[in-house]
Amino acid sequence: MAEVKVKVQPPDADPVEVENRIIELCHQFPHGITDQVIQNEMPHIEAQQRAVAINRLLSMGQLDLLRSNTGLLYRIKDSQNAGPVSFFLSKMKGSDNQEKLVYQIIEDAGNKGIWSRDIRYKSNLPLTEINKILKNLESKKLIKAVKSVAASKKKVYMLYNLQPDRSVTGGAWYSDQDFESEFVEVLNQQCFKFLQTKAETARESKQNPMIQRNSSFASSHEVWKYICELGISKVELSMEDIETILNTLIYDGKVEMTIIAAKEGTVGSVDGHMKLYRAVNPIIPPTGLVRAPCGLCPVFDDCHEGGEISPSNCIYMTEWLEF
Amino acid sequence: MTQAEIKLCSLLLQEHFGEIVEKIGVHLIRTGSQPLRVIAHDTGTSLDQVKKALCVLIQHNLVIYQVHKRGVVEYEAQCSRVLRMLRYPRYIYTAKTLYSDTGELIVEELLLNGKMTMSAVVKKVADRLTETMEDGKTMDYAEVSNTFVRLADTHFVQRCPWVPATENSDPGPLPLAPILVISEKDMYLVPKLSLIGKGKRRRSSDEDAAGEPKAKRPKHNRDNKEPIPDDGIYWQANLDRFHQHFRDQAIVSAVANRMDQIFRSLPVGYNISKQVLDQYLTLLADDPLEFVGKSGDSGGGMYVINLHKALGSLATATLESVVQERFGSRCARIFRLVLQKKHLEQKQVEDFAMIPAKEAKDMLYKMLSGNFISLQEIPKTPDHAPSRTFYLYTVNILSAARMLLHRCYKSIANLIERRQFETKENKRLLEKSQRVEAIIASMQATGAEDAQLQEIEEMITVPERQQLETLKRNVNKLDASEIQVDETIFLLESYIESTMKRQ
Repeated sequence: MAEVKVKVQPPDADPVEVENRIIELCHQFPHGITDQVIQNEMPHIEAQQRAVAINRLLSMGQLDLLRSNTGLLYRIKDSQNAGPVSFFLSKMKGSDNQEKLVYQIIEDAGNKGIWSRDIRYKSNLPLTEINKILKNLESKKLIKAVKSVAASKKKVYMLYNLQPDRSVTGGAWYSDQDFESEFVEVLNQQCFKFLQTKAETARESKQNPMIQRNSSFASSHEVWKYICELGISKVELSMEDIETILNTLIYDGKVEMTIIAAKEGTVGSVDGHMKLYRAVNPIIPPTGLVRAPCGLCPVFDDCHEGGEISPSNCIYMTEWLEF
Repeated sequence: MTQAEIKLCSLLLQEHFGEIVEKIGVHLIRTGSQPLRVIAHDTGTSLDQVKKALCVLIQHNLVIYQVHKRGVVEYEAQCSRVLRMLRYPRYIYTAKTLYSDTGELIVEELLLNGKMTMSAVVKKVADRLTETMEDGKTMDYAEVSNTFVRLADTHFVQRCPWVPATENSDPGPLPLAPILVISEKDMYLVPKLSLIGKGKRRRSSDEDAAGEPKAKRPKHNRDNKEPIPDDGIYWQANLDRFHQHFRDQAIVSAVANRMDQIFRSLPVGYNISKQVLDQYLTLLADDPLEFVGKSGDSGGGMYVINLHKALGSLATATLESVVQERFGSRCARIFRLVLQKKHLEQKQVEDFAMIPAKEAKDMLYKMLSGNFISLQEIPKTPDHAPSRTFYLYTVNILSAARMLLHRCYKSIANLIERRQFETKENKRLLEKSQRVEAIIASMQATGAEDAQLQEIEEMITVPERQQLETLKRNVNKLDASEIQVDETIFLLESYIESTMKRQ
């Protein structure tokens, strides 16, 4: 500035007063106020003082800075956020704005978490900075890294106390990113046993075949209830989970499925149809080829008469003949 | 003809007919149709022997002949027909289940001799049956011919094509090769024969009833010189009919396994009440296996058996069973999954099958190298860059079936070879035991004492006896295994044939 201006400070130019006024204004307009509005309200406050006041409020975490198409908006932070914010404040006292920014972005990602590259895009900070900040935040126990089950190298960051979303952890089948095969196996066997016993009882009732067949069916809802009652799963399983298990049984060839149209509202129906499952026997016994050692021989292609491996000196055959 | 098939044919021909026939047969299979002189020249055997070998092969329907242009007769071997020889035991067994011992022996005689006249068959079978019966009883020809007629009626045996009788008395130039014709309706016409007689027991000695046998025997000899009433009408076993029967059996048992009920076989009449029948039919139609379809409501509902689908399911089940036994049940799960969903990506396979990614990958690659599964590339970019291409796993049932069939042929060849090897190994022992048996038999005939018999029997020591037992057991096992693998061959061949016909 070329000249030094001497200002007579009007009495209500006290910084705290200014801040309080701004806060009042924000409360009046919960959707946010622009700089223009503040200026209109307090025309005698200089832009610089305004800026100072606003900055202070921001750093204290009482105001939110938002961008709209008209310009910048200041919004009061509602009391819900006040709690963790004050906690946050006590932790964040020593950190700089960049960290705040990164924290903000992670918070916005909710329980799906956000990848470090995405944080970089959103904050326009260089990679090294980001990494430093992330490490910092992690040590302060504000955020945590969760390994995504889809790509095991990818880490998503989310707030410390949030429960990761199913798509990240893989849902009921994964515990700590490890596919729980034994759990799946156990469920598999339980479902199959349930269906088998149902088919058995139906067969023994010896009524006319239509009824027999229908009563050997179990809907996915029934199986789900049975498994829940068994209580072998510590994680809560939904009907879709049970259906995926039953599908694996179909691929094992032990169970068949039909879909029938069911009225909306009958228990267990989804979109107007129900899936029914039934235990079945395989249609042929193990085929002839596999009863001979040649069917299962791992060196089949190398075997020919007069060679090192030949039918005459086949050790598999010798073993098999000794049975 | 693949190498494996040729090997198998050569083994079979050698076992059943001997070296010379085998040489000629294999040569013909390898080189297609050839005239007589070329065969003799290429195989280095004398013309006479070639002729004899060809006679044997033609008699058994393994070789056919044709007159080609320029008046040359060419002979062609039927490889598939040679492979049927593996199935003889199954045919005989089927005949036994359907028509009891008489039927079994008739079919056995026909298969062993290729072609025979009815009277010859009847006589032989009666003789054989009489031998197995108790003393004093004999088998009546009439009974045997009845069974024969029934076999012909159900088309299990059929007439061989014959030379049509020329009407004009002037024979004209004889054709180079007789042209055989047969019309549909004549195929199963049984000639009116009055076969009277009883089976004769073959006697090894003239002991009992001293006077009678001597008187009877000259008459017996004279019988042979009488003209056989149905000369020129030859019969052979109708293999296709047997195949039909096997196929029906396979389908019925598959459905029975699925339905857990007692089922009547399809050609046989039903004896369950109509209402229950209706329900069964509805059940069958609804079943996901899709064997039975309902087409139209005429006559209260017309049901059709979808044969192609049925064979397809059976072939698929065979493939699945092989995958399961070879690679494990988890692999079988992946296999069935890809089969049902037609095309799947790696990630999807893991998700659906609920198998950890590493294991799933391993299993997929194992199956890929075994040619059960194949990869389908779908490029995203014109340059087919691997990082930008979709790779989908898929199962091509036809090619997998063919691959498995080839493996079956080789397996049977291996089993036969092993069997021959085992027999050869113990040749010395076998010969010894045969000699001992012959000695015992002759001594029994001349009336030796028990002590002497015992002495002879002890010529075979206990460990040797054990060895013989083991050998017998092994040979039986190998034999049984051959028949089992043949069942697989049957299913796969039927499926492939049915698919090819549709295209």
